[in-house]
Amino acid sequence: MSTQLWLENITKEYGDGDTTVKVLKNVSLEVKAGEFVAVVGPSGAGKSTFLSIAGALLSPTRGKIVIGNQDISTLSDKELNAIRLQRIGFVFQSANLIPYLTVRDQLLLIAELAGNHNKEAEKRADELLLRLGLAHRADHYPESLSGGERQRVAIARAWMNNPEIILADEPTASLDSERGRDVVEMLADEVKLRQKAAVMVTHDKRMLDLVDRVVYIEDGMLSERPEQVPHPVH
Amino acid sequence: MFLALREMKHAKLRYGLIGLIMVLIAWLVLFVSGLAAGLASDNAASIKHMNATHLVLQEESDHRLTRSALELSALDEVQQAVGEAESAALGVRMSTLTKEGETKKTDATFFAVDVNGMLAPKIIEGSMITDVTETEVVADASLKEEGFRLGDTIHDQATDLTYTIVGFTEGQSFSHSPVVFMNLKAWEQAQPKHGGADVGPLVQAIAMNTDNDTAAKVSAELEGVEVITKADAMQGIPGYKEEQGSLLMMIVFLFVIAAFVLAVFFYVITIQKMNQFGVLKAIGAKTTYLARNLIGQVLILSLVSLFISIALTYGVAYMLPASMPFDLSPMLTLGCSALFLVVALLGSLLSLYRVAKIDAIEAIGRAA
Repeated sequence: MSTQLWLENITKEYGDGDTTVKVLKNVSLEVKAGEFVAVVGPSGAGKSTFLSIAGALLSPTRGKIVIGNQDISTLSDKELNAIRLQRIGFVFQSANLIPYLTVRDQLLLIAELAGNHNKEAEKRADELLLRLGLAHRADHYPESLSGGERQRVAIARAWMNNPEIILADEPTASLDSERGRDVVEMLADEVKLRQKAAVMVTHDKRMLDLVDRVVYIEDGMLSERPEQVPHPVH
Repeated sequence: MFLALREMKHAKLRYGLIGLIMVLIAWLVLFVSGLAAGLASDNAASIKHMNATHLVLQEESDHRLTRSALELSALDEVQQAVGEAESAALGVRMSTLTKEGETKKTDATFFAVDVNGMLAPKIIEGSMITDVTETEVVADASLKEEGFRLGDTIHDQATDLTYTIVGFTEGQSFSHSPVVFMNLKAWEQAQPKHGGADVGPLVQAIAMNTDNDTAAKVSAELEGVEVITKADAMQGIPGYKEEQGSLLMMIVFLFVIAAFVLAVFFYVITIQKMNQFGVLKAIGAKTTYLARNLIGQVLILSLVSLFISIALTYGVAYMLPASMPFDLSPMLTLGCSALFLVVALLGSLLSLYRVAKIDAIEAIGRAA
């Protein structure tokens, strides 16, 4: 299986000279096509920073990031923007849909941003909505959707640009456990179906049986073994 | 425009309200502009449309025609400088008229001109006065609204003389009063008699049609005069500067208010949407794309508001009574509209700055 996301010896420091804070210390992670990885850890462990770097939102102080087969470590902000648009799908904590767009337009926005808003994009959007069970909600605004539906729309939106990796930032945080499970299952199914890579940051332990691999992050360091995490995640 | 249009459609009330404010401001701008232009022409039509570029006044008359007094002999010297056909004497006196046999008073301004010279009014009804008559005058057509007709006799309150209206001209007013033309002979009759030597009639100005260089030469050569341009003379009409000045101030303030109203509105909306812009940037929207949508909204809102207010302005202007001084030319409308758009775009700069500053990372780790 090919590697879709490869983070090598990532270090992220904040501050200057004397007062440097190391948020991530030599973090490495490899995610293969069709693999769904969960990153768990307590608050302040560096989960969000990790996801921001993997998602090309933040540049690491040191280290290398490869998405698909492209090294993005040295790209400019503008080029990172294009990478996010074309190769990465995001699912945010509370769906973060655009309030004034209908469900269908949320998906078409991605095509619009990529400059390929055409019949084919509309077809793709309709197919995605159908498969995620949202076809009957296509013309609704986010305000009239339930939390689970919103998160499903966010997942559909993340798939819209046919990305190489999906990054999910606590996608179940605003959902009850049953809805949350549905959403993560859906994410896992899509990853398998499309043979893409996915990384989910979470501190919801109940979801961990749905993923292929769990990595633990604590104090800026990543490990595959849960023993290194002294406190139970909650 | 994908986002701009959908957002405006979704938040109709919000954008409708700000649009309404814009309509009202633009309407007021256009209306006051039309009124300013109308008042300017109502006030100073005779000077504005005078066939002359410069006026020679007595020195120290502070650009005011009514304060100046020149001996008619000055005309000869001016004529030598600029040519006989390109200069003419002008007498100006504000007075009050009554129609013979009636007691109702009407303000008017007497203009004394050479009836064969370049300042002679254009007759639209009746006939021109001759250069020998001492009792005939040509009046501005607006006096007809006051009940004056051809052949009526008018009584000048200041001199106790009477004249007969033999013709009407149009578009002649001075300091908001209609102008009554007489020849220089009748003017001389109406002059207060001086005790001393006979110096001939005094006039207020010598009008010249010439270039700036010659005007400067005349100013240097003649003693006791100042040469002003026609625009200066308009400013010197009693009340003109004050009237136009206060209207202009209103218009400027309205533009500033429009800029701030839009700036604040879009700034507040932008601040409200910071998180949303963060998400949009995170999923790959470029700053230029977001900026285009913001500017698109400002332009759509301004253009629609302008269109409505132009329609309202012309609609109301159509219903105004004819005596209301309102004169909104298409050029003035276009100028105001263009300025309005520029001001609206300036107002959106602050929001654009905020949009450009938003970091995509805002979207991560946030429960909105």
